[in-house]
Amino acid sequence: MGDQRRSSIRVEQVQKSYAGRMVVDVDELVLGDVPIEGLLGPNGAGKTTLMRMVMNSVSPDAGRITLNSSDGSTTTLSSLPTHKMAHHGVVKSTQVITDFDQLTILDSMLLAVATTGHEFPVRPGAERSLMSANEDEIRSYLERFGFADATAIAMSAGEKKLLDILRCLLLKPSILLLDEPTAGLPDEVTAKVLEVIRELAADGTSVVIVEHDLDVIWELCDEVTFMAEGRVLMKDDPASIRANATVIEKYLGAGHG
Amino acid sequence: MDRPARLASTDEPAVDRDVAAQHVEGPTTSGHHNVVAESSGRSPRRPGRTTSILVAAAVGLVVLASLSDFVAKSLVIGATENAALVLAALGFALLYRLTGLLNVAYAETITLGGYFAVWLSSSLGWGFYAVVLPAGILAGLLSVGTYLAIFRVAKRRRVGDLEMIAMSFGLSIFLRHGLQFIFGYQVQFFDIAPPDTISVLGVGVPSFRLLALASVALLSILIYQFIQRTRYGLQIRALASNEGLAQASGVRPLTVTLLIWFVAGLAGGLAGAFYGVGSSVSPLLGSRQLLLVLLVVLVGGIWDLLGVVWVGVATGIALTAMTLQFGDGLYSSLVLIFAFLAVLKVRGRRLTAGTKV
Amino acid sequence: MSLDWLDAFLVSGTFGVVEIVGLGLLLHLQVGLTRIANFGVVGFWGLGLYTFGVLYVQVDWPFGEPWQFLFSALAASLAAALAGLVVAWLIADLDSDGALVGTLGFSAIVLILATTQDQLTGGALGLGGLGFPYDLGTTKANELLWLALMTALVGLILGYVWWVHRTPYGRLLIAIGSNEPLARSMGKHTTGAKLTLFAITCGLMGLLGAMHGVMVRFLDIGSLDVGITLAALAGLILGGTARVWGAVIGVLLTVGLFDIVIQFYVPLPQEWFTQAIPVLREAVFGALLVVVLLFRPQGLLGQMRRSKLIRAMHDG
Repeated sequence: MGDQRRSSIRVEQVQKSYAGRMVVDVDELVLGDVPIEGLLGPNGAGKTTLMRMVMNSVSPDAGRITLNSSDGSTTTLSSLPTHKMAHHGVVKSTQVITDFDQLTILDSMLLAVATTGHEFPVRPGAERSLMSANEDEIRSYLERFGFADATAIAMSAGEKKLLDILRCLLLKPSILLLDEPTAGLPDEVTAKVLEVIRELAADGTSVVIVEHDLDVIWELCDEVTFMAEGRVLMKDDPASIRANATVIEKYLGAGHG
Repeated sequence: MDRPARLASTDEPAVDRDVAAQHVEGPTTSGHHNVVAESSGRSPRRPGRTTSILVAAAVGLVVLASLSDFVAKSLVIGATENAALVLAALGFALLYRLTGLLNVAYAETITLGGYFAVWLSSSLGWGFYAVVLPAGILAGLLSVGTYLAIFRVAKRRRVGDLEMIAMSFGLSIFLRHGLQFIFGYQVQFFDIAPPDTISVLGVGVPSFRLLALASVALLSILIYQFIQRTRYGLQIRALASNEGLAQASGVRPLTVTLLIWFVAGLAGGLAGAFYGVGSSVSPLLGSRQLLLVLLVVLVGGIWDLLGVVWVGVATGIALTAMTLQFGDGLYSSLVLIFAFLAVLKVRGRRLTAGTKV
Repeated sequence: MSLDWLDAFLVSGTFGVVEIVGLGLLLHLQVGLTRIANFGVVGFWGLGLYTFGVLYVQVDWPFGEPWQFLFSALAASLAAALAGLVVAWLIADLDSDGALVGTLGFSAIVLILATTQDQLTGGALGLGGLGFPYDLGTTKANELLWLALMTALVGLILGYVWWVHRTPYGRLLIAIGSNEPLARSMGKHTTGAKLTLFAITCGLMGLLGAMHGVMVRFLDIGSLDVGITLAALAGLILGGTARVWGAVIGVLLTVGLFDIVIQFYVPLPQEWFTQAIPVLREAVFGALLVVVLLFRPQGLLGQMRRSKLIRAMHDG
């Protein structure tokens, strides 16, 4: 925080429509200029589509999405193949639970930390050097999140979800996009996940969160961007967003006050 | 430049719940969803325009044919000799697009059509015209039989895509070699009088081939009308796009599926009979044609069932033209395989999305 | 050393089994781990066989054995590797249907080229003039040594496959096989990995083809039919596509049973062996594919035992 430079994503004049319906129409938005940024809005506000356009898994009809890295370089994300996103430090967790059904938990973590050098078809000793270089980090994560057996294949939805977040963390992102990271997790695990997100943000990673659990947003985020009908309505600190009449009307409804 | 895999319908591991994203035509989200939207949107508009272009092209070719002997020969021989190819491709495409199964064993449906025709004609002493349809019907029943005995069971046991193809490959080999036990190892010929030759555009054509061409035309029209216009056709399309939903709205999947397998087998069997009467019947009859059928189906399937027919016709004509030019059929196959593989690479992205409905 | 006790056909039969084991092992990396449907094994193997044979016979080499063999075999492997690269590029972003058509199309191209380029390949008549890169005096001794060399090569392939399961590379292949989009989102260049995999494995298939050429000493167009693909696939699927030893066990039980046990130890009328047995063999292999995939798709050895392996490697 403070004077530390962070990576951020700049969205300019980006539009996307499906079958004539404008889903995203953002004039200008900078994501990740604060440690933890929340993306809030009612269903169909275009949050997920926006995230997908950032990851270039959906291409915008118009506009530019650029990455301003912490080292000062600029990259146009919409011309970057998916597999290069992670190399540029842009990592996104998956919204729906997904996993490698043949790989163990430890496998998934080692896969995340392995480099192209490790994955050369003929390289004696690669596995050992990969493990020894990353053992401490992996073991500490395993311990912290209470995986009883890292050599098992992740079974429960919660385990898979957590593993997905762990994979993201191990990729050492400079910008981490999290799509409902705590949905479906038990409370005590949610607390641990939030703790890790805070630590990561404190270490210089910009975290962008889409979350429906408002308590998480208010508690965690330094700034919140509120979207509705594809547009950015406001971007402010959580308290101001929470106090705003439009937000209450459009999203929180009467019951939430 | 790296392109997304079509293994899954979206590039993102997550299947998006955002409703809007289901209609994405972006570089990475080619999935089954847009196909459904496309197929419902295209039927009213497409045929008119396509047909007028094709009619114009056909008229142009006939004019050209009257001027050049080479064009006339390619056109007439190509269209008639390879009518069976179009028929086979049509049946295969029907099965592939409507059930999603790429059935390698379809080759043996073709072969069996040939064998049934020979067998009926020699055992009953009937002429070729009399045995074509019964042979096709027998092949159709056999096709239904393989579905009930194997593919239906496999689907219920949730056999994977790759395994399904391997299974149909195995079935194909089993049938191909089993046939040799039943029908013997020798090549068989129809024991019938040589056909009348009819002159078309100055090129002599055996009458069987004209019949083949006529049945291709008839079947194509019938199948197309059936799929696009009838209540059953609607059910078939509904079943292909969303089985659960179709079932919920009262479609009886078994009847409809059996119908698809029967019509596909019928087309394959007829094709086999026409292939057989054109030359001879052997256990390899169908498998020799399979690659060409596959390529026509995958490339023609970029458009729709009618696309398969047109690509099949064009392939037949190109094959004949090149064979006339090179003097060796193998070179023309070579050129065609390369051409089709190139199309597969370039248009491949839409290909798998478009072929399965 | 007298080799009279040894039946010459037993040597060639065993050679065939070892060869298919090798192909099955390579296919295991493609189909079992990475889940790319290669139905054109015979194309890569045959390209190796024919490239080797044509170079060996038609080129006027300025040096003698074993260099003539080594150069021809190296060129054959490189040709097959290059073909593997091109085919992988072609099918990299297609699903199993596209992979089937691409690989089947490639093997058809190899067959057509071998038939039409008859001034080089001998076409349908075949091409003789191949031989062992050494001479031990008798054909039987030569063949026995060649069988030993082939067994050593396939042993190396087995070792490589065993090792791949224990490396980050193997992990990447399994990840691609089970969820390619997820692997890509983790920054893995999955297309590149598939291309490399095909270059290596198809190159080795080509090398096995070249080894085959030396053993049979004759290029026969009939060997380019679907038989090789079927044998490798049926063996692998019976044994278990996901397991290192799947191809070994499966091929022994299929090709080994037919080409060794039935041929040598079951007293059948001699005329059966010319037509009935080969036809029956293919029919049984085909039926086996259907039955195994219906009732035990994971094969005899069962699922990949990843947990056990990782525990053994990293001690929990």
